[in-house]
Amino acid sequence: MPRLVRLIWSLLALHLTLGMMAYAHFLVTGTYAALGWYFSVLGTFFFLVMTATECCLAIMCRSWFDSDEPMRLAWGMIACAALARLGGVLLRAVSDGHLPWGNWNQLSQPFGGLFVSLSQLGLVVGGPLSMAFLAAGLGRTLSIQRKFHLAGSLTHLDQALLFLVLAFSISQLAINLPLMGNHPSFGTMLLWLSDPLLSLLLVEAILVRRSVIRMGQGLVAKCWGMFVLAIVITSAGDAAIWASNHNLLSESVTALSWYIWFIASAAFASAPAYQLAAVSLTRQSPMELVEKR
Amino acid sequence: MNLFGTRHPRFWKRKFTATSGSDVLFEAAPASGLDDLQVRLNQWSHVWAHENDSGTPTEAQRLVAKRLTDWMDRCFGQHVHQTLRGKGGQISLATTTPIFTAFLGRRATRELSRRVLQDI
Repeated sequence: MPRLVRLIWSLLALHLTLGMMAYAHFLVTGTYAALGWYFSVLGTFFFLVMTATECCLAIMCRSWFDSDEPMRLAWGMIACAALARLGGVLLRAVSDGHLPWGNWNQLSQPFGGLFVSLSQLGLVVGGPLSMAFLAAGLGRTLSIQRKFHLAGSLTHLDQALLFLVLAFSISQLAINLPLMGNHPSFGTMLLWLSDPLLSLLLVEAILVRRSVIRMGQGLVAKCWGMFVLAIVITSAGDAAIWASNHNLLSESVTALSWYIWFIASAAFASAPAYQLAAVSLTRQSPMELVEKR
Repeated sequence: MNLFGTRHPRFWKRKFTATSGSDVLFEAAPASGLDDLQVRLNQWSHVWAHENDSGTPTEAQRLVAKRLTDWMDRCFGQHVHQTLRGKGGQISLATTTPIFTAFLGRRATRELSRRVLQDI
């Protein structure tokens, strides 16, 4: 495993260990004090570190391609997605007053106009906007993979999963569209795009997964595999929110489902780290390569 | 030469005076040098495209293919070179350069080619 990837997952393991201690405190005492502090302070800090790392690494990956190379645009889109996610985390942290270095609660007041609050703007930037950039980047990558005959055909399981994803998106749209009569804010309408965009990302993730299976266990394959993992985990987190909103999950399971977002964040940060590891591999001598196997 | 200077618009406006042909002296290259160059180019061509009239790969071709296979395994995975072979192509610089360039970039591929051809 490349050093940077190991560092990211070690940081996640440490963070989750602390999180489990907070969760144990919640289970024993039944109060949200430790859990609330963990998610608001440590959680926010973890998201900031991971998204900033992902953004920097994606920009570095992009810089390895010349302006006329197709993957430069793909990595540019992925860097924009990471930047949007970082911006979303920052906006929400500022709005909710959860920054470790100060309380900015005065900014959380409703400011009308296109968005209900700064927090909603953060949700839109870190949600649908980031997903749209990532979908464009992955779409570009898929077209390149197809050129090299790496895109495999879909299995029955893939098709069943696609059907489920599309059915879920259509059902969510059917729920949201009648609400148009209530004159929702522009931000609210943009947030309705989250589910269709996540569905599109899942479709792309399934196709990327097929090509990863055709490649094997190399660093580039793992890079795209990490994007697939991150998207699948994001979908699982989204499903957990939906289930929680419909009272399908108990309080303790709902609290446990919040941890899933940290794993998705680490997976997103690991993807460009794998790509950079593959690039750095080209600077090793053949002897070094054989020794490391 | 200042490479950054070439990006300045003034560089492109500058008029370069043409050198008259009579001032330039072209000396005939020695025949042995040309032969040597031809041998090197042929050797390079064989290593690059894995084309050999005799059909059996030379030691250099085998080494290049082995190194490229190692790199492909580490970078992409163990199944990628089977996909390339499936298309009827041998593992050579000519068959692998496009996929390396697409996913790692031109600069990284150039670096990799240099490493593959090391000591050959």
